[in-house]
Amino acid sequence: MASAPRPVALGTFAPETASRLARHRALFANFFRRELFSRYLGSVTGIAWALVHPLALLAVYQFVFTTVFRTGPLNGKSFLVFVAIALWPWLAAQEALMRGTVSIAGYAGLIRKVAFPHELVIYASVAATMALQFVGYVVVLIVLALFGEPVRFEGLVLAVPLWIIIGVAVMGLTLALAALQVFIRDVEHILMPVLMILMYLTPILYPLSLVPEQMKPWVAANPFGYIVDRLRDALLDGRLAVGWGDAVAVLVALALFAGGRWIFLRLSPHFEDFV
Amino acid sequence: MTPPLLRLSGVGKDYAKLDTNAAGRVRLVFDLLRGRGVAHAFRALDDVGFELAAGESLGVIGENGAGKSTLLKIAAGVITPTRGSVDVHGRVGALLELGSGFHPEYSGLDNIDLAAALLGLAPAEIAAKRDEIVAFADLGEHIDEPIKHYSSGMVVRLGFAVATALTPDILITDEVLAVGDESFQKKCIAWMENYLADGGTLLLCSHSMYHVQKLCRNALWLKDGRVARYGDAPGVTQAYLAYHEEKAASARRPVATPQAGAAGAYAIQSLTLEPVARVRADESLTVRGEVFSPDDRVPVVLVGLVRADGTPVYGVATDMDGVVPQRIGARRFSFAITFPRLPLLPGKYFVRAHALDPEGVRLFDNLEEDFVVEGTSRELGLVRIDHGWESGGPPPGES
Repeated sequence: MASAPRPVALGTFAPETASRLARHRALFANFFRRELFSRYLGSVTGIAWALVHPLALLAVYQFVFTTVFRTGPLNGKSFLVFVAIALWPWLAAQEALMRGTVSIAGYAGLIRKVAFPHELVIYASVAATMALQFVGYVVVLIVLALFGEPVRFEGLVLAVPLWIIIGVAVMGLTLALAALQVFIRDVEHILMPVLMILMYLTPILYPLSLVPEQMKPWVAANPFGYIVDRLRDALLDGRLAVGWGDAVAVLVALALFAGGRWIFLRLSPHFEDFV
Repeated sequence: MTPPLLRLSGVGKDYAKLDTNAAGRVRLVFDLLRGRGVAHAFRALDDVGFELAAGESLGVIGENGAGKSTLLKIAAGVITPTRGSVDVHGRVGALLELGSGFHPEYSGLDNIDLAAALLGLAPAEIAAKRDEIVAFADLGEHIDEPIKHYSSGMVVRLGFAVATALTPDILITDEVLAVGDESFQKKCIAWMENYLADGGTLLLCSHSMYHVQKLCRNALWLKDGRVARYGDAPGVTQAYLAYHEEKAASARRPVATPQAGAAGAYAIQSLTLEPVARVRADESLTVRGEVFSPDDRVPVVLVGLVRADGTPVYGVATDMDGVVPQRIGARRFSFAITFPRLPLLPGKYFVRAHALDPEGVRLFDNLEEDFVVEGTSRELGLVRIDHGWESGGPPPGES
């Protein structure tokens, strides 16, 4: 038979779009809780760990860099606050990416037996990680402020949208990687070292101004570096003005999301056979 | 006219043959991303179509690996067909395999919430239904324990309770009724009968012809991914059983070597049935034939009825009844025997005619002709035996 495959009307369980959206929202909420509770809060010390972890890590950085390496102030700010503001979003993105990439496997039972939009798994996984990490971020900012660091809390007005931009971009990347992971199990193993390398290539532990002149364009081209700069502007200097660069950041995030979703939707009909 | 609740047309499903090497995997992903079919595919289903209108019930039968589960998953929307289209109008409740989509770490109650969310219920609706589900599953205090501590029967009970409490427009269910203890199975069957009586629509997959005949009006027999037969349940299940009987018989029975044509042998030369090939239970069946006699003496003819798997049902010879075949020419005789109101139960049978010497001692030749007894009876066995019950009044549910 030579006829091209016709589009298949699936998921028409609820004919009206509105009720389908409601159905997906309820499902997303359930998955979101599942991600939050089973991964972070299921264990006895879960809630405490979610808050203690960022602070413990920060204390270690403080010890290693300012006590051992005796790193001085960067861009006029103490090393600790300079790094903390950039490191947290990176760790959040990294964790969301890594957890999200392997999240499909945790839903294998559902995917094999129940009809539902598989992308909800990724959204729930990334959103849960990002949301929890953002809470940790705020805790870190408060602790820094208590230690007398010059944190400008009005900067959160800009920091929240910036985190959302990160979240959207990470969702796009995670959609693509999670779909690939179903077919090629190596993805998760390649991801860890790649992220480690990228972290050091991003101006997180150092300011862009310290990068040698001939390498600067390469480092500056990193979109995450731009977001990090904007976070420092907002939370350390209280600069809240929005520019064209932010619009580009939004577009880049949306493009990543659209591209990742396209890959995911192409591959997800075949998940059932491979998970 | 209202459209059918479920319509599959020309549905086919190819599964990629799994490449073990990495390069094959990468190529597969690229093929899928480019929207092309997979290069090495196993055709699990091909050109399957059926319609299911509101209030209808369809049983899918077939051997292991025939594609039944794939078909049900496609109908439930769990997997996308490679070819063809699926149209669904209504809420589908699918209960596929053990504990459809339960999370082993979650308690029974949490899994009820998850399953209800998967079916598209709002949190308020879920709360309203929860007690009903808990009562039907009847798991006692286990309902608060993680599913991983459940026995398989308990998981099925919970699964069935969830799938049914939400009264789907179409219930799609796999071989799940076979699990669970006797009383729960009865509860399930009773629920399904009520559901069907109330106009529910059922797509059932079962190896139990008894369940298919009891619960389904129509049946679809899948063989190697294709529709072998699709029609009313009694007809299709009988054809399916006959196929199995024949398969079993051909595995068992050495091929008979008739000595037809051998010089000096009595031989059946022709055999015809009236009606041909199909007879309704309780109709009459006439068997006619011609027999060759090498020495022109009148031979004895034995006619037997044999079920397709080789089980003899009844046999009778001319000399037993004191009759003789009729001479119709030199060394040629004809015979005819009528079975009025054939009491055979629906199924596939053979008529086997043997030629014997005039003494009725030596068996020479046999010729077979198969036929199907049609009917809707669910009685068990080979023949209908006259009987009478003492009844205690009208059956329950009829007034």
